[in-house]
Amino acid sequence: MDQTFSKFIKIMLAMVIVVGFGITISSNVHGKQMAAAGYNRPSEEATVDWQLTEAAIIRDEKSKLPPIPEQDECLHCHIGGSVENLWVPLTRWVTFGAVGIVFAFGLTRSAWVWKNRKPWEPLSTRVGNWIDERYHHKEALEKALNKPVPDWATRWWYCLGGITAFLFILQAVTGIMLAFYYQPTPEAAYTSIQYIENEVFFGASIRAIHHWSANGMIVVCVAHMLRVFIMGAFKPPRELNWVSGMILLITTLAFGFTGYLLPWDQRAYWASTVGTSIAGAIPDIGELILIFLRVGWDITGATLSRFYALHVIVLPILLLGVMGMHFIMIRRQGLKEPL
Amino acid sequence: MTETENVKDTKTIPFYPDHLNTEIRVAWILIGLALIVGILASFFPIGLEDPADPMVTPPHTKPEWYFLFLYEILKINSVFGVTILPPVWVSIIMVGLVLFILVPFLSKKTDSKKGMIVRASGSALFLIFVVYFTLKGWFS
Repeated sequence: MDQTFSKFIKIMLAMVIVVGFGITISSNVHGKQMAAAGYNRPSEEATVDWQLTEAAIIRDEKSKLPPIPEQDECLHCHIGGSVENLWVPLTRWVTFGAVGIVFAFGLTRSAWVWKNRKPWEPLSTRVGNWIDERYHHKEALEKALNKPVPDWATRWWYCLGGITAFLFILQAVTGIMLAFYYQPTPEAAYTSIQYIENEVFFGASIRAIHHWSANGMIVVCVAHMLRVFIMGAFKPPRELNWVSGMILLITTLAFGFTGYLLPWDQRAYWASTVGTSIAGAIPDIGELILIFLRVGWDITGATLSRFYALHVIVLPILLLGVMGMHFIMIRRQGLKEPL
Repeated sequence: MTETENVKDTKTIPFYPDHLNTEIRVAWILIGLALIVGILASFFPIGLEDPADPMVTPPHTKPEWYFLFLYEILKINSVFGVTILPPVWVSIIMVGLVLFILVPFLSKKTDSKKGMIVRASGSALFLIFVVYFTLKGWFS
């Protein structure tokens, strides 16, 4: 039990070291390329002349303000030295900070062992005990972790639901990253995507991961549904699990539908036009749905705002809630035994 | 409790660490795939078409690939000489979807091997149908 855990921790640490090393190297390379291409920090190109600024502000009144002290205008340049890159000081902070923390931890640990005259308990055990004293989580956790899994449940087709959930997490992470740069207005949407593709560090990669795992999520979701349908896992007593799963599938499709408009290029615009007109073909309520989706008869900036709100606020909350129900129900009932 | 009722008589493995380990391995594979996609994207980015212009309709307007089969079905005017308009198609699809959602409530029969074969062949037929219309839409 603990061996697997420590192995997992070791793999994670190795990954962190490798990724950290990669980021450091690539940020240095990036910085040098940027410097070579003429992108310099503003501090070197246009230093603020504080005397002139001051003079401009208090030109009229002969103010009694104290003189502006000799200050460093560029803190990160100061920390980072001469390399023109924001990442270098950050990686330095992280590296030296981590060394400092490890050093302080070793000192504390030695002092504790010397003072108390007993072996040191790992931090994870201490934190676990501290929380358990307050919230008694260990019993429930043991029960959940020691739940036996039938050995046929390790066949690959039982993985499809889990893969969908994992892809949703991936979508959430990359989606938040994209939302940092994306601007949901018709004037700025297209250029902000261009900015993500061309200027943002790893922006094209993050967008590609978001794009392809969205498509993959739909494929895996449908595959999971077909697996459940063919194996008869929807049969009583698992009716509600099937219904919640169908809601999840429809929500996933809605995610794809609303996300497709956001780049605001020709393909997105006309795909959304066609898609909303399919919804508009529903008898009686079709036009109402069409007007709700398009915010009027045409796709405009208001449509973009609405799709963005649906895509990043409404649908994630809905999906998370139904997903929780879906998981709790399958956990209570267990997997259906194959025939 | 019903939790362990149906697993008592079969061989089991512990959830932690054995089963969790399998899941973590699958997660690593997916992370690896995502990294490969990310690296490939540096060379082949998703890219953009021209900015959206409501005045200029491109020659082939298509929805996303997973709605393409619906779109192709809506384009069918008649089946065996009977004229069918898009609202009728949409109604048929909606009713079919609702029936599919309510499928566990429709039959109280216990599951059998035969039922499984029927469902599998039905799904296969439906998949062929969907793939046919998707490809038709894709290459039109």
